[in-house]
Amino acid sequence: MKSLSAELVGRPIVPAISSGAFTGKVRRTVKLLFGTPLNAILTLVFGAALFAVVPPMFRWFVLDAVLFDPDPNACRAASGACWSFIYAKSGQLLFGIYPFDERWRPALVCVLIIALLAWSVRPASWTPRLLQLWIAALALVGWLMGGGLGLATVPTSSWGGLPVTLILTVVAIGVAFPIGVLLALARRSTTMPAMRIIAVAFIEGIRGLPLLSILFVASIMLPLFLPDYLLPDKFVRALVALTLFASAYLAEVIRGGLQAVPSGQYEAAEALGLSFWRTQRLVILPQAIRVAIPALANTIIVMIKNTSLVLVVGLFDLISSGKAALADPAWPSPAAETFLFIGAIFFALSFSFARFSDFLERRGHISQ
Amino acid sequence: MLNDAKARAIAIQGVLIIALVGFTALLFTTTVANLEARGIPIGFDFLTMPSRLVISESILSYGSRDPYYWAIIVGIGNTILISALVIIFSSIIGLILGITRLSSNPLASGTCKVWIEIARNTPPIVLLIFLYSLWWKILPPIGQAINLAPGVYVSMRGLVMPAVDASLQSIGWGLAGIAGLFIGARLVRKFFRRIQWVAIIALLGAAVIGFWAAKASINVDWPVFTGFSFRGGIGLTPELSTILVGLTIYTSGFVAEIVRGGVLAIGKGQWDAGRSLGLSHARILRLIVIPQTLRIILPPLNSQYINVVKNSTLAIAVGYPDFLAVMNTTISKSSHSIEGLFIILGVYLALNLTLSALANWYNLRIAIVER
Repeated sequence: MKSLSAELVGRPIVPAISSGAFTGKVRRTVKLLFGTPLNAILTLVFGAALFAVVPPMFRWFVLDAVLFDPDPNACRAASGACWSFIYAKSGQLLFGIYPFDERWRPALVCVLIIALLAWSVRPASWTPRLLQLWIAALALVGWLMGGGLGLATVPTSSWGGLPVTLILTVVAIGVAFPIGVLLALARRSTTMPAMRIIAVAFIEGIRGLPLLSILFVASIMLPLFLPDYLLPDKFVRALVALTLFASAYLAEVIRGGLQAVPSGQYEAAEALGLSFWRTQRLVILPQAIRVAIPALANTIIVMIKNTSLVLVVGLFDLISSGKAALADPAWPSPAAETFLFIGAIFFALSFSFARFSDFLERRGHISQ
Repeated sequence: MLNDAKARAIAIQGVLIIALVGFTALLFTTTVANLEARGIPIGFDFLTMPSRLVISESILSYGSRDPYYWAIIVGIGNTILISALVIIFSSIIGLILGITRLSSNPLASGTCKVWIEIARNTPPIVLLIFLYSLWWKILPPIGQAINLAPGVYVSMRGLVMPAVDASLQSIGWGLAGIAGLFIGARLVRKFFRRIQWVAIIALLGAAVIGFWAAKASINVDWPVFTGFSFRGGIGLTPELSTILVGLTIYTSGFVAEIVRGGVLAIGKGQWDAGRSLGLSHARILRLIVIPQTLRIILPPLNSQYINVVKNSTLAIAVGYPDFLAVMNTTISKSSHSIEGLFIILGVYLALNLTLSALANWYNLRIAIVER
């Protein structure tokens, strides 16, 4: 412990790299790896662990793997991974049980949502127009997925795979955000006690429960609680459950941001004669949300991962379509490869958003 | 009237309350009508009826003739078992990962960084399903079980390890002994300040002799391979092992980031100040740095621990009967959905509040006392 603390504090965490010669670099690396007894032990331990794990994994992943051979028997013969299964089943994995001839529609939806997400991360595109663009895009997504107006109708029970995951994530977070702002404002309200109590009960009630139990209530018990004419279909019920869940967490994060805004800002807005909503929109919320960005990003990352839970209530998301693809008896059921593939998709979504939030945080530091 | 802020506030709240009451009334009447149509009475009487549920494994003993309330308690026991073990394992692994991540050794910190990012950015349910599918793929059949450590075997059928065959009475005595040791150490520190080390060593000596004497009554049950299965020892099924490993990997990533943030938040000046007082490194760490780090990391750690309790519901993905899974089958078998909903609400609230209360109590103990 003693030498560890010395190492943590005595040295800069990021070694300063001067523009030295190659040998200097090598010497510095060797010194970092073996400079102190503790570092030498760490290098040996981690080196041994990596040596034990990485070569066999590489053999399984690449050398012994079947990459593109469309013959299932090639996979049976090989001792490595069966990537050709992913390749052959990619349509089913990505789009689930969506009608085969219409698969261009969910494919277009995925491209549309991902392109719009990529467009939205540019600070230059943060204008009121962006919101209109998103609303238009989501209407288009609804039409492409559901059909009507010249396209064949596809009920939500046949939606599946990546578009379901993307739609659930984007819509749940998008709708939950304004609800969360309203809840946070209601919880901080001093003039409306009834509003505050309702907001507190809602937020704490939702936050006290696991998401799975809320999904169960929405999908299994809601038909008992609601009259038939008010009962939405299964997809919408899960979407509503995800939205309510996200709104409670977002509300708490935004409330934290609101608390960080000094009261002088409220007084200044009042002195200018701004109404409550204009005060919030023009003065308070922009500051509160900037403070809350790191926590907001964490909540959104949790929600991206949470959409995978709809599998348990029988929605056909990426995991379910993976399981369905694995049921094909013609193939040797390469489960590990399939779930690695699905895990990689979720990882890409969540990891890239984490990097985006790092960028926002740095940007916030610079502009202040 | 519209311009009077007070009147407007009352009007808005009135509308809100009326809407809420109306909606609740709609829910209530619909539910009552639906239940009446199906002939299900409302009430908690069903809890004492025999459940006939199938609970594949549990830490508390369960038979299908047991009543519903016992099935539910068995489910709660399973949830607490998973949560407690995952919290302990992920705290230890997270601490090691978080500190190694700060190391100046690029190999060690790089490996930890990759581990942490993968753990944090994969949905836990995907992690669980992946590990569960891996379990059958890479582990050998039970005949060729891998011997990890003396008496610890792992195979497709799960993990077996030696069990300490202790009666309830001896566990009680053991706990009493440990409590006595703590109280003794406190008293010694209070009354024999001068010679406390001698006194503590004497106390420890007495304890060792006591435990050594008690050892005769403790039986270690080693697992023995009988040709088809292991006899003796305690086993972890593939389901339970998968949940423990998966949730531990997932949570340890978050714990590691919290620990790293906590250590980085302690300014270098604290170390310099400690050194200028002439304290040794170990004492700076123990007296100055660790107390402050603990204070910083405790609130986020506690919310991670509450998340573990909530994430333990993912056990359902690999078919392990945790509390929510048991409640789910209870509700679908007995049709008492409203009562079931209240039980779910109450139990998770109680578990989360208990964890928060424990953390708050500890937080108060380590908080700065401002004058």
